[in-house]
Amino acid sequence: MGTINVSKKYTAREKAYIPAILIGMKITMSRFIKGFFLRQHDTILYPEKKRDYSQRFRGMHFISVDANKTENCTACFLCETICPADCIHIVADEREDENNVYGVKKEKKPISFDIDSLRCCFCGFCEEACPKDAIKLSRNYELAVSTREDAIYDLDHLKRDVKGRG
Amino acid sequence: MSNPTVHEIKGTKDDLNYVSAKRPVHSDPSPDAKPLPKVTIDGKTYEFKPGDTIMEVAERYKIHKEIPRYCYHPGLPVAGTCRMCTVEVEKAPKLMTSCSTPAGDGMIVHTSSEKVLKSRNGVQDFLLTNHPLDCPVCDKAGECKLQDYTFQYGPSASNFKEEKRVYDEATTKLLSDKITLNMNRCVHCERCVRFTDDVTKTHDLVMVNRGWHKELEATDPALGLTNNYQGCLTDFCPVGALTMNDFRFKKRAWFLTKKPSVCDRCSKGCNIEVHHDEDVVYRYTPIHNEMVNGHWMCDDGRVSYNDIMNPSRVISPLLNYENALHSTTLETLLGDLKNKIKASGNVQLVVGTDSTREEAALLKDKFSDAVGAKVNVAYFNGTNGVSTSKDDMKMDHLLIMKDKTPNTRGVEDEGLTALAGNEANADIVILFRNGRAGVPKLKSNQKVILWGVWNHDELKALPTTNILGVIPGLATMEKAGSFKNGDGIVQKFHPAINHRGGAVAAHQVVGVLKSLT
Repeated sequence: MGTINVSKKYTAREKAYIPAILIGMKITMSRFIKGFFLRQHDTILYPEKKRDYSQRFRGMHFISVDANKTENCTACFLCETICPADCIHIVADEREDENNVYGVKKEKKPISFDIDSLRCCFCGFCEEACPKDAIKLSRNYELAVSTREDAIYDLDHLKRDVKGRG
Repeated sequence: MSNPTVHEIKGTKDDLNYVSAKRPVHSDPSPDAKPLPKVTIDGKTYEFKPGDTIMEVAERYKIHKEIPRYCYHPGLPVAGTCRMCTVEVEKAPKLMTSCSTPAGDGMIVHTSSEKVLKSRNGVQDFLLTNHPLDCPVCDKAGECKLQDYTFQYGPSASNFKEEKRVYDEATTKLLSDKITLNMNRCVHCERCVRFTDDVTKTHDLVMVNRGWHKELEATDPALGLTNNYQGCLTDFCPVGALTMNDFRFKKRAWFLTKKPSVCDRCSKGCNIEVHHDEDVVYRYTPIHNEMVNGHWMCDDGRVSYNDIMNPSRVISPLLNYENALHSTTLETLLGDLKNKIKASGNVQLVVGTDSTREEAALLKDKFSDAVGAKVNVAYFNGTNGVSTSKDDMKMDHLLIMKDKTPNTRGVEDEGLTALAGNEANADIVILFRNGRAGVPKLKSNQKVILWGVWNHDELKALPTTNILGVIPGLATMEKAGSFKNGDGIVQKFHPAINHRGGAVAAHQVVGVLKSLT
């Protein structure tokens, strides 16, 4: 087994270097003129300036609430059933009679509703399955957290105030 | 061991509400017997017994597609009110209800002709005019016949533009502490009324008013439901009108895995289906068995899964060290106990009558050998004042028995004797029970070894200094075996759920005891 030399020999044009530098400088100068004089940037100053995504963007989940800040979710488990990533965990219970002004419509409630966003694949099936339009995906794409516990959205977090679709 | 006929508990593939006795009809073998009449259903000819209805013939031979029904139930008298089971009979001017029309010789029946399907579509349309669209909240969703039949026969959209009927008083009304009624969901099949009239004979429920205002009410609203078979109402209610508080909102029906087993709450041995999800039991429902329980089961048995799922159940081996119980390994515990049993010499093993026939035989034959000391084995019942199977008797006209353990007769069959005077008389008493049999009277200086299904509340009733150790055992739903019920029927069952704790089967404990030196 001998060694096979796959490197090719430089041509005279490549050995001269100057043409290659000129091609590089052409790109550099065109970008410089576009950015510095014409103010046409390809990047944005991210935390201060945010990119506007589609209205259909699927980001951080939320649960819609009614006028009394009561969640619209009735713990029917359809989202948990459809979820392909198995990231929704609901515990259901009966709403206490004295707190229940809605009657039979909201006699069932989730006492805990956890979404493990690290498992979630943001497919939006839960939103599609929900018969009460309770669970929705907002347009918020800033999902970074500092601990794994923060990545599990509980009911309090999901019921946060979201205007429109965020 | 005697060898009586062993009946294996079989699960049903049908919806458990609709199992019926599907006995095939055999012709009389004698030569001068008349040939049985024949009926043709959907192009196939079936023999039947004179007097059978079309529905019964169809059920018995399992025709290719179930005839839909709301009011018909094989365990209840025929009402013929829902009109869902109508079929087309040739030469009859109108559609006939298959549940109440007797089959005739030479009758030709079509169960899914165009006319029949149009009629069923109409029935569904009328039922759905007033049925609320609260399936997300309703506990019956997933096992609801109204849902199923709407998918199969019903209209995809309603023509009803008016306001739906709402029963303000009875939207969420407690009929008793076990049953909740939501009258808006009711389809007025009256199965519940016929059940309390003809099965429990308590006449608890009644339909008041007529037509649009027809409403289910307790006969005495102050008393509510009084019978002991209220859970059956939720089994056969085709919609979510009657729901059981014990199961309400605990789990959605489609998550449940169903396994057959035997109820161990009394000596009747009702055949049950254990509904569990990931080995957590959520409810028991009856399986039809004409010999034992028919279609029904009592409420005590129905909620008895709570004992197995009790959070305070002992599921790891406990050893008494310096007058406190500590969790340990099974080998450490059994090694310590074996030494103490050997040293004592005066040991009694009390087998509860809730153990299986196999366990009773094992403990009688193998236990003395395994511990290497003579152990006196006796059985003990201790529930409801019952000590032997002769004390057992029926408590009502249906199912409930006085003996609250499942296998008194089976344990007697193995040749064990009853505990004399219901009192243990040895230095060390080993109590083997599965959570149902009672605990015999113990003297203050007697040491006890607890074995089987125990919970911490039962442990607290005994002085801790006297408990040498606790060997956790498997409950009925977690093990295989057989019971001989109060009527002498031997029923074999397999594990319905896996035990997820540290409890082990009795034969494994005996094996470990034998291997230790």
